[in-house]
Amino acid sequence: MATETGIDTAPAHARDVPVKAPPARPVPARQPNGRTSPVPHRDFVEKVAGTLPYADDWSFAGILHGVVVRARVPCARIASIDVSEARAVPGVRAVLTAADIPHNAISEEASGLGIEQTVQPVLAGARIRYDGEPVACIAAENMVAAVEAAGLVDVEYEDDEGVFTIDEALAEGAPSVHPGGNAYVTYNSSIGDVDAAMERADHIIEETYQTPRVDHAYLEPESGVGWVDSDGVLTLRVSTQVIEHARALAEILELPHSRVRVIAAYMGGGFGGKEDMTVEPYLAALVWKTRRPVRMVWERQDSLLARQKRHPFRMRYRTGVTNDGTIVAQDIKILGDAGAYPLLSSRVLFAGGVNATGPYKCLDARMQSTAVFTNTVPTSAFRGFGAMQVVFGYESQMDLIAERLGLTREEVRERNFAQQGDIRVTGEPIETECGTRECMHRALQELGELSEPTRGGRVGRGFACSMQPYGRSMFFADRASAWIGLEQDGTMVIRAGVTDLGAGQAASLANIAGEILGVTVDRTSVHIGDSHLTPLTGGTFATRQLYMSGNATVKVATALRDKLAPVASDLIGCEESELEWANNLVGMVGDRARAVTLSELSRTAESRDVMPYCHETFTAQAGEFDPKSGQGQTYPDYTHGCHAADVEVDERTGEVKILKYVAVHDVGRAIDLQRVEGQIQGAAAQGIGYAMSEEMETEGGVLHSTLFANYLIPTSLDLPDLNAIGLELYLGKGPFGARGIGEPPIGPCGPALASAIHNAIGIRMLRLPMTPERVLAAMRAGRDNSVPGPREHDA
Amino acid sequence: MTATRGHFISVTINGRPTDIGVRPNLSLLEMLRDDAGCPEVKLGCGEGVCGTCTVLLDGEPVNACLVFAVQTNGCEITTVRGLAGDGELHDLQNAFLDHAGSQCGFCTPGMLLVTKWYLDRHPEADREELRHAIAGNLCRCTGYTKILDALEAYRDLRLEDGHGD
Amino acid sequence: MYAAAFDYVRASSWAEAVEQLQQLGDEAHVIAGGQSLVPMMMLHYAAPSALIDIGGADERTIEVDDGTLVLSALVRHVDLEHSAVVAEHVPMLSQAVRHIGNVRVRQRGTIGGSLAHGEPAAELPCVLIAHGASVHTLGPDGERTIAVNDLPIMQLVTSLREGELITRVEVPTLTEGQGCWFIEMARRPGDFAMVNVAAIVTCDESDTCTAVRLVLGAVGNRPVDVSQSAQALVGHVIDEESSEAVAAAIAAEAEVTPSSHAGIEYRREMAGVQVARALRGASADAQRRRGGVEVRV
Repeated sequence: MATETGIDTAPAHARDVPVKAPPARPVPARQPNGRTSPVPHRDFVEKVAGTLPYADDWSFAGILHGVVVRARVPCARIASIDVSEARAVPGVRAVLTAADIPHNAISEEASGLGIEQTVQPVLAGARIRYDGEPVACIAAENMVAAVEAAGLVDVEYEDDEGVFTIDEALAEGAPSVHPGGNAYVTYNSSIGDVDAAMERADHIIEETYQTPRVDHAYLEPESGVGWVDSDGVLTLRVSTQVIEHARALAEILELPHSRVRVIAAYMGGGFGGKEDMTVEPYLAALVWKTRRPVRMVWERQDSLLARQKRHPFRMRYRTGVTNDGTIVAQDIKILGDAGAYPLLSSRVLFAGGVNATGPYKCLDARMQSTAVFTNTVPTSAFRGFGAMQVVFGYESQMDLIAERLGLTREEVRERNFAQQGDIRVTGEPIETECGTRECMHRALQELGELSEPTRGGRVGRGFACSMQPYGRSMFFADRASAWIGLEQDGTMVIRAGVTDLGAGQAASLANIAGEILGVTVDRTSVHIGDSHLTPLTGGTFATRQLYMSGNATVKVATALRDKLAPVASDLIGCEESELEWANNLVGMVGDRARAVTLSELSRTAESRDVMPYCHETFTAQAGEFDPKSGQGQTYPDYTHGCHAADVEVDERTGEVKILKYVAVHDVGRAIDLQRVEGQIQGAAAQGIGYAMSEEMETEGGVLHSTLFANYLIPTSLDLPDLNAIGLELYLGKGPFGARGIGEPPIGPCGPALASAIHNAIGIRMLRLPMTPERVLAAMRAGRDNSVPGPREHDA
Repeated sequence: MTATRGHFISVTINGRPTDIGVRPNLSLLEMLRDDAGCPEVKLGCGEGVCGTCTVLLDGEPVNACLVFAVQTNGCEITTVRGLAGDGELHDLQNAFLDHAGSQCGFCTPGMLLVTKWYLDRHPEADREELRHAIAGNLCRCTGYTKILDALEAYRDLRLEDGHGD
Repeated sequence: MYAAAFDYVRASSWAEAVEQLQQLGDEAHVIAGGQSLVPMMMLHYAAPSALIDIGGADERTIEVDDGTLVLSALVRHVDLEHSAVVAEHVPMLSQAVRHIGNVRVRQRGTIGGSLAHGEPAAELPCVLIAHGASVHTLGPDGERTIAVNDLPIMQLVTSLREGELITRVEVPTLTEGQGCWFIEMARRPGDFAMVNVAAIVTCDESDTCTAVRLVLGAVGNRPVDVSQSAQALVGHVIDEESSEAVAAAIAAEAEVTPSSHAGIEYRREMAGVQVARALRGASADAQRRRGGVEVRV
């Protein structure tokens, strides 16, 4: 089987996989630098120039400075709060506590499945449930006064009994973080008859894996400014992934939805950490109270202390296999530490659970995933969103199977790769073709010969595959809208409520619309992220923007083209089907001389009452899911990939040096190959940090890593060159057949590196991050003992 | 809080002489952002770890968060907007654009200033030396690979143009 | 991120700085590069009432005089990093200084500041103690000379008296037959060290060790001169076996304080691993300096 990836080694049973020839597509030839456009989008020019105004780069005359006052106990009852001294500090304009917030509740029914809400106060008034929980917020004429007042807020606490780990939380008689017990939500799904299948299995491989609580650590802290505009609308310009929070803010302040507007500035990174609200409710309350513009920036140390993290998972996998390596049964139990408030935990554990079997076929499978409340910092969205934690589980299992059966790691995967049409644990088929196999072959081929040691350590090679979803769960019936107009001079305006995390979300809309209407990026103006002035698209999360807004842009650009086509064909004197839209001209295919400018087209259309603009809404494929049976439709589609690495392990210190790293994903169609590579590299770097060094350790609910100096994200010296390859194998459901790439490349890093470490020293690491200390301890013990074994509530 | 004596300092910011009144506990970072109209200098961590707030002080890179403004009296300060003329981009900035060395862009000003300074002193630096040079500038978006690509391209361009002496 | 309020004055000489310190009282503090002090002020771990900027108190001179490297206390890390004189005469300083923080921290930070700060994980005190360096100070009671080994007491506490400033550092240079090696082990490049080792080994022409100086830092609450424990190597060739034996004994006896970067037993073990590697490195360096053998550790 020879394909464009040059694979000719696929085993016999893999040969019947159809490889579809890529269809012709309306995407132009790439520039030498890999860009589709000869000019970079404006935001990137402004970023290198230093002129892009981020959320904290705006100001107003007389702006007040806002701070949040946080409790520094993990679990307590509030006996009293005295803010009289704080209010007396000269320059202080407002000191707000729970009593000052009209509707003191952040509530979101995050599951989408009707699971009961647990309310999170904006400001804690009765109980403190985690270290760093906000108790007051302050606005003052200057930062010195604000900080001084913050120090004078006097809160009297009474000790309260808390639970700080999953085991403590689930223990018999444990104190409840919220009424209703600490097991916040549990999902169960199963197909076939797992117990009978386990009986049939020749081997049962059972292991428990643990992943860490980590921080997004984007470089731009949470920040923004707020003001009341001339129409009396409370307006926030903040670093956020979701402008639709305007509604929640209105409800907190008991205002009509139409009176609160959120503008999303270009973000200095988000990664899911700006998906829940950060500064917004505090800023909004202070602006509304003072009727003055207010600015708020969270210090890095506060961000590390109290802004939501990634869920630590404990995953128990039991996998039944036959002697030839075929998986016949999967039984998976996942516990995720939700911290003190739900935020998006129900969705994260859902994503973890339904994706826990990975890119492998198994007709007798069962999963259970539970979000557990503890008195620790809340956990919520983070790139990979549950579906990345489980990659460590299912890929480590594949390696263990290979080891047990004496097969190669490739062979075991080859035997089990799922294909289009295969049924998942939720009873639904995979709708598009799966490129995992090709990605695996390409990744291993790309590494070449095994690396030589650089400092006398032992070298090993590992890899891991993954299949991670893009787009929201289908039961959300996701929608995105966009507006496009041609100005009289032929320049194009795009309006879409997209927020831009820095990955070029705005730029890709310009590329997509430009492709269809023939407008170059330099003549395109994209207006994004304004809850009052741009059609809403839903937030930038779940790797959904390219899929959703991209498709909305395709739809609206096509509608506008169709609307203007009769005018153009009349002007040019040709059939509509003969029109060619390119380089800011509309012409006739094959006759370049017969062309009109978009300016002429736009003016003519308007004079004939054909208005040169359109608004359209794209509705994602919807589906139903029954939380009781655990059956139904989950995600619209998946992105497949494989990462492979060579590592060198220092057997005296346990230090692991990554010598080579390659990350391959099937991206369907790359809208901008260079940006796709950038996404893959960035996600891989973040995944490597997760695998090797990052962890927010807590003890008794207190976080140890609240300085950037001891929360260890990778530097340039911790990473090798990251070889990112975006293959265009099988069409996905995004525009032009693109598959989402924002999140999927973060999944395989941990298991790929664990596999390489095992290959080097014969020890299987079961817990991330694989710090030198843990690696050395595991070498000593002959196995990784850092993961607690299965507990009663696991069984 | 005790009242302390304010100071007047004279600094040159991107070639523009500026007199400015500062309280002693005002960091250079705050002064540049809030009082001197330089929001291009970014706050990342405030601990001197991330390099996001890097500016050149008399031509040398410093953490603007770990210098008090009052200490910079008489100094020349260069921010990323001082790299090229108004409305122009420096070749290094163009290299970052061509190679997608910037994603969210937040680390970019600091990254550009450190690498400009470094390559001025080590015009023939190889990829590994460049990797060391940016080790104190954290980037969470790129994995550094495309930044290094941009730096190598800029280095080669300069060497071709004969600036590599 | 907002330091508490303070008064700011500049000193144009060491004498003026000492005088200002007396006038401004107990809570006043001098500032040189500020790369240790300012983060502590920003995070509210320190709140001096006044800062006396000694940046203009002296030149940043680096000189060699009769077997001694003489450094102004205001010499910055970056000066050490790029000085050919330092690289030739006290090469371990050039080696160690590259591990300090990042390029910006090295740009501002000074050798005097590092010594006066008393951070147990600091690189330079290890090297200086291994070399038998001393500092000159000026205080209300006049000048004194203190061996660098007598400076650190415990974390952030030194033997400097109230109002006393380090003005100069004197380092005996590397001599004929000596080799040196510095190792820092950190979780991440540029971060606080988990283990620092500075070793100076003297070898005769048959590669037999005739003297050894060894300092272990970042493990306990101050850098420790463990040369005595390494004397067993004298009269022997430093090889895998001999270095590991000495290192194991040193590690076993080392006082290890808790750290957020790794557990006590791991750091103890790493002290042993790195001591052995540094000893072998220094021995190989001695051979290389004599005969041009490439150093491999």
